[in-house]
Amino acid sequence: MSLLKSWKFWVAILVVLLWARVPWFVRNNYQLQVLFRITLFAALGLAWNLVGGYAGQLSLGHVAFFGVGAYGLALFVQAGIPIWISVLLAGVVAALFAAVIGAIAFRLRGPYFTLATIAFAEVLRLTATNLNVTGGAIGLTMPSLFVGRTFWRSFYLAAVVLAVIAFLANYWASRSRFGYYLMAIREDEDTAGAVGINTALCKLQALLLSAFLTALGGALYGSAFQFIVPDSVLTLEISVQIAIITMLGGAGTLLGPIVGAAVLLWSQEKFKNQFQESHLLIYGVLIVLVVLFLPEGIVGGIERLFRKRPRLPSARAKAQAAPGAAV
Amino acid sequence: MIRFFQACADGLLTGALYALIGMGLALIFGVMRIVNFAHGAFLMVGMYATYVLFDTFKLNPYIGFLPAGLALFLFGWLIYLVLIRPVRDRSHFMQILMTTGIGLILTDSAQLIFKADYRQTNIDLINRSVHIGPFGANAAEVLSFAIAIAFVAGLYFFVARSLTGQALRAISQSPEVAPLMGINLTRIQGFSFALGIALAGVAGGLLLPRLYLFPGVGEDYTTKAFVMVVLGGMGSIEGAALGGLVLGLSESLTSLYAGNQWALIVDFILFLLVLSFKPSGIFGRQRA
Repeated sequence: MSLLKSWKFWVAILVVLLWARVPWFVRNNYQLQVLFRITLFAALGLAWNLVGGYAGQLSLGHVAFFGVGAYGLALFVQAGIPIWISVLLAGVVAALFAAVIGAIAFRLRGPYFTLATIAFAEVLRLTATNLNVTGGAIGLTMPSLFVGRTFWRSFYLAAVVLAVIAFLANYWASRSRFGYYLMAIREDEDTAGAVGINTALCKLQALLLSAFLTALGGALYGSAFQFIVPDSVLTLEISVQIAIITMLGGAGTLLGPIVGAAVLLWSQEKFKNQFQESHLLIYGVLIVLVVLFLPEGIVGGIERLFRKRPRLPSARAKAQAAPGAAV
Repeated sequence: MIRFFQACADGLLTGALYALIGMGLALIFGVMRIVNFAHGAFLMVGMYATYVLFDTFKLNPYIGFLPAGLALFLFGWLIYLVLIRPVRDRSHFMQILMTTGIGLILTDSAQLIFKADYRQTNIDLINRSVHIGPFGANAAEVLSFAIAIAFVAGLYFFVARSLTGQALRAISQSPEVAPLMGINLTRIQGFSFALGIALAGVAGGLLLPRLYLFPGVGEDYTTKAFVMVVLGGMGSIEGAALGGLVLGLSESLTSLYAGNQWALIVDFILFLLVLSFKPSGIFGRQRA
């Protein structure tokens, strides 16, 4: 098998093993919790990357899937379904929601698409706030996926597994025919359609996969923090956070979301102590700086530095116009 | 029946303020094709500016909104030059991120300066009411309605009649050709961005007496402004004004028949319906 001869494959295996071994070096639960959040958001960023990075559709409604994952887990367990099956069911329900959202939103382009995704997520948030089934504004207590002394260690490992799955999905998207279709749609949707790509179907498939993974992340998050309210798992802030993580690291790159999650969440933790309630200020400043000076993101920028052939001027102008254009 | 008409009257009173907010957003989108996700945050800044004038100089908010609006005009122009102009020719993607970032910075700066406390202005007018026939209304709301209508009408005539208004419309119709006709793109865009922000600031000042003020107060207004603008047809200024009135009415009637907590959901559902079946808006022609 050629895969076993590739040094990149073995490096990747090594990185994952080291990544998974981190809890044995960190004894402090607080640090473990921060690592859990970084890993989880790296997974969420990777899931978003399929739609926002490769297909170039800026969704700011991904919190809808995240929230459906968390609420779905709680409600399915309440209905007496075994907990791990509930997690998968929550993912399937999120994919169903994605099918509905996609059917309407993917007919729209540019800012209209983004606005529609926000509106969907907001409808879900407000509905969850008003319904009794979802506990209204008081929220729900989450079932625990893991218990006992190894609580955070187990959640951390589960997040690593999710991140690896999401990474493999991205790897597949960066190499496969399906991924090339998505990138063609990103670069020029009309032309992609004209050469025979079923653009609506491709975008929808990417969204379904992305929504499923995002919902698993939401279920993990909700279960780890044991309690959910609409303003914690259905807030627009999480949608923005997922998108920013990916853009900061580099949309449409394999490592971008991981780098973005590490940089953003780590600096957020640092600033939390200094600015307390205003820790989101760092987001705002980072977003503005990235848009102004690093439109291809950290990984995208580094890749451009190391690219051997100089880019054609036209290709470069295009990269600045379309942020996800870095390969 | 009397309750129905009373709710309609209340809806229109709020709707006029919404119209002001929506027109500002439509102006920015029409002239620049930039979707301003920081609109509600600018409205919040207008509220705090009016509040500071009230708190330090005892200036009545119904006068204080004017200097506050002027300050936001200058602030808006500055933001345009420093942060918006560099992304003028980038993708929508980048512009949306930029304005989202600006909104976060504004909201969290307010949080840093004013803390998360709820603040209120107590003025005499808010406790008086006006009666016309069987209908009653709060005197402060009637006054802010009158001021808002004056601004809406003023803006409409400004855009329709003045030379600058013509330049605005020319750029909104064709950003490539208008500069060839001798229109200074940067100046007109800066002006319209500043004017849109100033309108949000004025609306904030007028909203101040009847709301509790806190850093996150503007968030709902960003989304509401989008609903109005989409209802009216994106980029159409008079459409956005009508959209504001429609939104005020629908919220007021939803509150009456289903309860206050459903009003915002109805807004969004209206929004999604319009986007899916008539993306050019209820009153609008196709623009974008």
